[in-house]
Amino acid sequence: MKYDSQNLRVLLAGKYVLGLLKSRVRQRFERLAVEDARLRAEVAAWEDKFAAWTLILKPLQPPAAVWRKLQAALRADAGESRTVRLVAAWNAVWSGAALAAAAAVLVVGILVGRSLVTTTPPPTAAAPAAYLAVMAAPQGQPRWLITVHAQNRRVDMNALADNTPPPGKSYQLWMLPKSGKPVSLGLMNSTGSAHETLTPDMLAALTKAKGLAISVEPAGGSPTGEPTGPVVFTGSIINS
Amino acid sequence: MPSTADASEARQHQLVDLLHGCAMGRQPAFQKLYQLTSPQLFAVLVRILKRRDLAEEALQDSFLNIWRNASSYTAEKGAPMTWLISICRYRALDMLRRERREVHFDPSDTESEDNVLNTLTGDSETGDLISHAEARALKHCLDGLSEGQRSSLKLAYFDGCSHEEIADTLKTPLGTIKSWVRRGLQGLKQCLEAI
Repeated sequence: MKYDSQNLRVLLAGKYVLGLLKSRVRQRFERLAVEDARLRAEVAAWEDKFAAWTLILKPLQPPAAVWRKLQAALRADAGESRTVRLVAAWNAVWSGAALAAAAAVLVVGILVGRSLVTTTPPPTAAAPAAYLAVMAAPQGQPRWLITVHAQNRRVDMNALADNTPPPGKSYQLWMLPKSGKPVSLGLMNSTGSAHETLTPDMLAALTKAKGLAISVEPAGGSPTGEPTGPVVFTGSIINS
Repeated sequence: MPSTADASEARQHQLVDLLHGCAMGRQPAFQKLYQLTSPQLFAVLVRILKRRDLAEEALQDSFLNIWRNASSYTAEKGAPMTWLISICRYRALDMLRRERREVHFDPSDTESEDNVLNTLTGDSETGDLISHAEARALKHCLDGLSEGQRSSLKLAYFDGCSHEEIADTLKTPLGTIKSWVRRGLQGLKQCLEAI
């Protein structure tokens, strides 16, 4: 089966969504779709087109037993995989925000980063002097510029806007290590600049971290030591 | 409550928010998502699997998948309800392939719904789960297909029928069915893109 003609691709995607491809063709199609974003887009387009058709069916209340079994499965799921799911969720946010954030870093790094870097001692050859992260909502304006100075383990948090949290809430900064649970880096300042000093272990983890996230927590910070509220701003860590 | 385009749009946003809540591991968001969408999804599953016990199993599997994979939902995967329906339908199609020998398709099982597309613009809460504009467009374009084309697509989409089963059901040669499916898909795509 050839996959180069656009008409054929559209047709195959349609038959795939309808469930009409025979097992061998279906498996081949699925393998191709993994690497072919345009093919996945054709599938998504057909799924979207047909979905409205399901409205012809009269809704049917499933028995309560299904929900009870789901709850039990969720409880079994809860402990270990919660962190994994958080990581996945944050990565999903980042994948969207990453491009915007990277572009923002280029701009903000040039405008703001330079003046920050000049206040720090000259870099050693071994480690980068500073790591930068721009914290922003997906597709939102930059809210904080975070600069980590490796030499004195200092984290500077510069508010780039008025970042007053909702009434009765605090913004809390989290580092997402390569593995394990998010680690609190403290509460965020709403205006101006603030700084924190890291332990050597935290600095080491931070330089390898997957990124940073800011969640909304009760005033004074998370009572549990883990994020309890929604993540509103994220940022990738970039070597400066 | 009358259903309007605004209500439908608000519902889409609510579903996206609930999926984000699930991605963050929030069980209340999952419960609300289940309450809102499970009747519609269960109807899809019962229709395709024809057996309540299998449909319940598929619903449970699907929602567990939804909970675990909510973070992979993104806007380019389509409307939130589309994503949920797809998870359920593919799960059901898998089960159908596995149980093919046990579950026999009986055309008399399918409800009479020749006028059913009227409900596409109805005003139930369920109606809000899917964009009204898309429902109207689909109805218009399905009406433009031949009876044979429409029936073939419907037997595949709703009943998980293979080409051969469609041929049996419609008492029409296999070659004709394949051509109806092909032309039905092409006609539908052309019509929906022209809107």
